[in-house]
Amino acid sequence: MENKVSYALYVLQEPVQYIALTFMALMYAIKIYQLMKKPGPPEKAELKGDRYAGALHSLANVLRPWGMESTRSHPYFYVEFLIFHIAVALTIGSTFFIPLTPWLMTPLVSKVIMVFMGLAFLIGLRRIYRRITVPEIRIISSPDDFFAITLMTVFFAVGFVTMWLWIQGKPETGWMWLFFLMVTFFLIYVPFSKISHYVLYPFGRVMYGQVFGGRGILNRNAR
Amino acid sequence: MPDPVETSKIQTSEPEPAAPEKLGTQENRKWPVLAEFTPEALAKMEKVLPSKLNRIVQTSLAGCIHCGMCTEACHYTQSIPEDKTLVPAYKADRFRKWYKYRYDWMAKAFPSFVGAKPLSKDLADEMYDKLWGGCTMCRRCTFNCPMGVDYGMMVRAARGIMCEAGRVPQNLQDTVDAHYNHGNNMAVPQDEFIETIEWIEEELQSEEGCEHFTIPLDKKGAQYLLTLNPREPKYYPMTIQSTAKVLNAAGVSFTISSRYWDMTNYAMFNGMDGDAKLFAKWLFDEVDRLGCEYLMSGECGHGYRGIRWEMSNWLGGVPFKITSSMELFADLIQTNRLKLDKSVHDNKIFTYHDSCNIARSGGVLEEPRVVIRAAVNNFVEMPHNREQSYCCGGGGGALAMPEFAKRRIASGKIKADEIKATGANVVLQSCHNCTDMLKEICEHYGIHAKVMNLAELLDPALVLTD
Repeated sequence: MENKVSYALYVLQEPVQYIALTFMALMYAIKIYQLMKKPGPPEKAELKGDRYAGALHSLANVLRPWGMESTRSHPYFYVEFLIFHIAVALTIGSTFFIPLTPWLMTPLVSKVIMVFMGLAFLIGLRRIYRRITVPEIRIISSPDDFFAITLMTVFFAVGFVTMWLWIQGKPETGWMWLFFLMVTFFLIYVPFSKISHYVLYPFGRVMYGQVFGGRGILNRNAR
Repeated sequence: MPDPVETSKIQTSEPEPAAPEKLGTQENRKWPVLAEFTPEALAKMEKVLPSKLNRIVQTSLAGCIHCGMCTEACHYTQSIPEDKTLVPAYKADRFRKWYKYRYDWMAKAFPSFVGAKPLSKDLADEMYDKLWGGCTMCRRCTFNCPMGVDYGMMVRAARGIMCEAGRVPQNLQDTVDAHYNHGNNMAVPQDEFIETIEWIEEELQSEEGCEHFTIPLDKKGAQYLLTLNPREPKYYPMTIQSTAKVLNAAGVSFTISSRYWDMTNYAMFNGMDGDAKLFAKWLFDEVDRLGCEYLMSGECGHGYRGIRWEMSNWLGGVPFKITSSMELFADLIQTNRLKLDKSVHDNKIFTYHDSCNIARSGGVLEEPRVVIRAAVNNFVEMPHNREQSYCCGGGGGALAMPEFAKRRIASGKIKADEIKATGANVVLQSCHNCTDMLKEICEHYGIHAKVMNLAELLDPALVLTD
């Protein structure tokens, strides 16, 4: 596939994205620095387990739905989570592939991405519904929670149509403009939003794994 | 009229007992506890907050995505489903809102958009209600959080902040103050403690086959320094007797300090690190004074965790080994140093409640089961066991907060249901807070089960040989 677009769309797809991406990276670097300068809780007692194995075990938790009661008892919720986040990864990938390696975006690849975007859109709708209707979820939700999931859901809908048009051989459409404008907004907005949870995720999981792995509670075979 | 012979015997053979030593600190502290949050208290909290934000607490405050997966993990929400404000994320948000107001970038411009709120009396009141009276820091939600949010550490930090400002449940603080002022949390004087141990030793020696068993006090060079929960000398002397009987039967060299023997550390519950460190230091000094190889906790949940895992962190490491009676019992059984007759328990069905601080935060998961399987034939696990066990509701100092007693008893329903489901008539556990809580919920929910610990389980099953 070719990405023959106007100079204006090229500017949006490349230089603007690089600037926004740099901004995002800078914000994340500051966030991580602020976190890392805090004292890490020590574990000076004689260990019963392995802190490193615990950290790895904890990080891999995302791939073990049976490892946590919350996902074990709600496999459907876990599948939704998995599809949604694969869709996020594929969509992020497409924002690089379209301008930089359009030949990778074959009709088959584009269709796969489109399907995931469509499923993620439906999951997004269900999550919004859940946030509104389940009382215990509603009372813990802030406007940012609603805004983030709504934005992602709309983004997947826009991405779905954009991919469909891309497969038709239409690289420059109003939808493509909207898609990349939203990407730009995301890159600037996400560091300030709950969507940036993926930056804290490895820190949370590793510290959890170190504490409970070292005490011999996780991956007990590692004792 | 006193027997002159006896009187003379006492006068001639017994040296005048030394005056009891003043233990604890030299001051007589009474922590100033406030009845409500004052502007000065709120200002103090603002000042203390940064010092409580270590890496885990900060990640836990910033990392919640409000997915709600913690809801089903909490014994409060499972037992009291009608109160949605007991959802762990909601409770933690009472603290998180304030944190975000201080530190979240988006909150600087749009606080209400991210749910941030400045610290006010209303918000602080909610913190008080939910984080003292609605969370036992059991960490079950932590194990079921996709992000690894450590609610236990976060809640302890919030409690520490409130406590520094003077807003702490009075009875809980009194317990800490008693420990601070007297060296143990029930203010047992040294002479009374010594007398109690001597009386228990006499009782032990009156048992058949135990004539030579001893409970040595301050025996230098003993291998194990056994520490106790003050409830034992006060209300449960049989626990000490049973523990001593098991240790004697196995030929274990142990001693108890007549000075600092209290393994509890309620400063873990009120979040006061300075006090927690001081109480740990007293035990450290006793191990050093008596030259023991091991510091050993008796059966007490938070006491075990405080000694086994947190003491080294508070004191920067320790030069001796640390274990628990649960682990030692299991080792004695596995090395054939104890002979047991299971048939004495054949008319009963047993289940085991994992204390949160022993199992989920302590890593003692299989050892109690080694002990139980060696001592009984009828053992039934609860549906949720080991690190997935529900808190009984008595953790986190909850028993020392009578103002929240109604909610505490209600929160024990899920545990009561699980005990009922086993059909057990004996609930085993290794923690004194769990003991009292389990007794209360058994009575409240109509469960006809006895609550006992592992030493009390082993005691009647011991086959004593020469």
